[in-house]
Amino acid sequence: MSQLTRRDLLKSAATLGAAAAVAPALGGPAQAQTTQKRELVIAQGGDIAFFDPHMSTSANEIRVSFNIFDNLISRHPDGKLHPGLATEWKLQGQTAWVFKLRSGVKFHNGDPLTSADVKYSLERSWDPALKTRVNTVFTTIDRVEAPDPMTVIFHTKKPDPLLPARLAFYGGQILPEKYAKAAGPEAFNQKPIGSGPLRFASWTKDDKAVLEANPDYWGGKLDVDRVIFRPIPETAPRIAAVLKGEVDMITALPPDHSERVSGNPTTRVVGALYAGLYVLAVNSKVKPLDNPLIKQALSLSIDRAAIVKELWRGRGIVPSGPIAKGDNHFDAGLPPLKYDPKEAREKLKQGGYKNEEIVIETTVGYTTNDKPMSEAIQGMWRDAGINAKVEVVEYSVRAQKNRDKSFKGLWWSDPTSTLSDPDGMMWRLLSPGGPQDYWRHPKFDELGEAARFSVDEKFRGQAYKEMTKIFLEHFPWLPIIQPYEDYGLQKYVEFTPNPNQQIELRRFNFKLRRA
Amino acid sequence: MRSLVGFLGQRLLRAIVALWLVSTVVFVVMRLSGDPVPLLLPPDAPRSEYERVARDLGLDRPLPVQYTVFIGNILRGDFGRSIHFREPAWRVVMGYLPASVQLALTAFGLALLVAVPVGLLSAVKRNSPLDHVAMGAALIGQSAPVFFLGILFILLFSLKAGWFPTSGRGGWEHLVLPALTLGAFAMASIARLTRSAVLEVLRQDYVRTARAKGLAELAVVLKHTLKNAALPVVTITALQFGTLLGGSVVTETVFAWPGIGRLAIQSIYNRDYPIVQCTVFLSAVAFIVINFTVDLFYGLLDPRARPR
Repeated sequence: MSQLTRRDLLKSAATLGAAAAVAPALGGPAQAQTTQKRELVIAQGGDIAFFDPHMSTSANEIRVSFNIFDNLISRHPDGKLHPGLATEWKLQGQTAWVFKLRSGVKFHNGDPLTSADVKYSLERSWDPALKTRVNTVFTTIDRVEAPDPMTVIFHTKKPDPLLPARLAFYGGQILPEKYAKAAGPEAFNQKPIGSGPLRFASWTKDDKAVLEANPDYWGGKLDVDRVIFRPIPETAPRIAAVLKGEVDMITALPPDHSERVSGNPTTRVVGALYAGLYVLAVNSKVKPLDNPLIKQALSLSIDRAAIVKELWRGRGIVPSGPIAKGDNHFDAGLPPLKYDPKEAREKLKQGGYKNEEIVIETTVGYTTNDKPMSEAIQGMWRDAGINAKVEVVEYSVRAQKNRDKSFKGLWWSDPTSTLSDPDGMMWRLLSPGGPQDYWRHPKFDELGEAARFSVDEKFRGQAYKEMTKIFLEHFPWLPIIQPYEDYGLQKYVEFTPNPNQQIELRRFNFKLRRA
Repeated sequence: MRSLVGFLGQRLLRAIVALWLVSTVVFVVMRLSGDPVPLLLPPDAPRSEYERVARDLGLDRPLPVQYTVFIGNILRGDFGRSIHFREPAWRVVMGYLPASVQLALTAFGLALLVAVPVGLLSAVKRNSPLDHVAMGAALIGQSAPVFFLGILFILLFSLKAGWFPTSGRGGWEHLVLPALTLGAFAMASIARLTRSAVLEVLRQDYVRTARAKGLAELAVVLKHTLKNAALPVVTITALQFGTLLGGSVVTETVFAWPGIGRLAIQSIYNRDYPIVQCTVFLSAVAFIVINFTVDLFYGLLDPRARPR
């Protein structure tokens, strides 16, 4: 509890103090639109624990590891897949994906990239002896073949339309086989070597990770010599650091602080619509949440537009269903989820609601605004005649409840669309045996399974359309918002953020404006 | 000499019992607080994966077995491997310790340097404007929440005045604001206690005698008052030092200072048993050593406190 109070008070202290103290202070420096700096400092909300890409899965970690390492394919901020270490790829038959590698690529230690490195890296990702954190990413792969130094063939167990997308995200980074084998996992993590635009220089835990520009990068050397990642856990000091010019970029800029950064003459805000949704996941096994009519009433009585406007200062959109905007098969024709308290009351009546208590178990700060949104929704539900209660749980309690599937009613989840496809979000989480398997529907399950293993995109599109229809009747999740992920930048930093939270520093999306 | 050996032996025995108790309490409390395994795995990890990780960490064994292994390892100086970092816990904690010690020593030095003279002056010039200002400031230092002070300092001295960096560890200028924030409470407590201890002594007969025999006021205060007022001040100062050394979660978090307080709290969230056990054990050792030093110091200050 002490943390909650501290955070709340910190926030108010920062807001109160900032209004008076910060504004005049910022008039000082000239409107720095260009820079001669050769160093880029990025402040994140937390530190990394690993450099080994097969151990890095948190947002803070992948922002670092995707710059030391390259994948065969890269998902650019435009949401599309582009060539990375592979220049071309195609599906042969139903289950063989053939990749041609880029020639002349060298790892940071000078070793040339070959198909053996790719085969080794993928096999390492699921090697049980290494206990990696990405061992479930490539379960569709049966075996990897390296017929010549520049060709790799992935044989999948069943048709896998999303293999290229899987290879573009975590687990798919390529390591140098010789060095990784010789060093062993611990030494590799301490001195990682990849082929990315930045190479490892030093790391002081919870202080800074220093990376140097790779002068021989195949995509061209970055316009800086050094990039430093610093963890600054509290929001107010992180914002102070960018306002004062001590850091060039900050992540996780909360919507209620965005005006301070955009209103300051030397800084600006950039954002990307998050590749995912913030949802209230529902334990549809407990009464009365096993009743679709009650869940429809819950959804109808949430004024999402007000949440977006008031709590998010407009930095988000109201979802229309379980598929995030920007993903494959997102249906642009579907209207945003409706707010109609009158209809909600009727649904409650039809559903035979007997004033049973409905509990939201919220964390504080697990996702931005989780507690304020819970309280707002509780109020909206009470207005509609629903006996709603908010209970606060700590992160690790949430993790435990996730594991035991013991949530009392609803809880916050921020599913990321790891593959930019409903399979990587809705089906990954809601499928039978999945982490949020609290509700089953035979048709939904049949379609989800068929779409996963079909390479016919037209068929998949139709399947997801039908699944969305079933979803909107049963609401295994109550989608609330698709927010923007905002970053604070110095005005001289030109950077396009990626919806999937990674910071990919490459020449195509990053440079410092020079005089 | 025999009495000194007996005294030392007794203290050593007490220290061992205290360390054993602390280790046992931390062991039990951490196990009661939850399971680290779900925090290590992606939410969609299968049951078999959960069991494998639990087995690897030795968490599938009965608690008494885990406890015996734990105590046995501690006796060999082995705190196990961090669950989160997958490195020896001792090595991880040692990596964070220098930052905490640096901050604690600076905060402590700052507190002592300011608090003792201020407390002394306040007592000697009782009810003067100086006394009112100093005690007013001490009241704020003691009652203002650390996070509030931290943020206030950042806004005033870093953003507005531009004198110091907002956060992070680096040169001396990085130390000033976190040390002031961390030391504020200790500074205020020591100043207030020094003032009341000195006032108490100033009322004693021997001080009146000293004045009556015509000693200069400075000599009365420094020679006859300060030494006699020192016992409670030394006690509170030492305890404050122990607290500062244990790291401050809030100060370290606000100023992004890579110390063991922040490591400990993160490790509690991550249920990283070995790191928590190691940091608590180290804190306990620090407190025991400090208390022991204070006891020896008492003997120096006051012959009546020496073991007979």
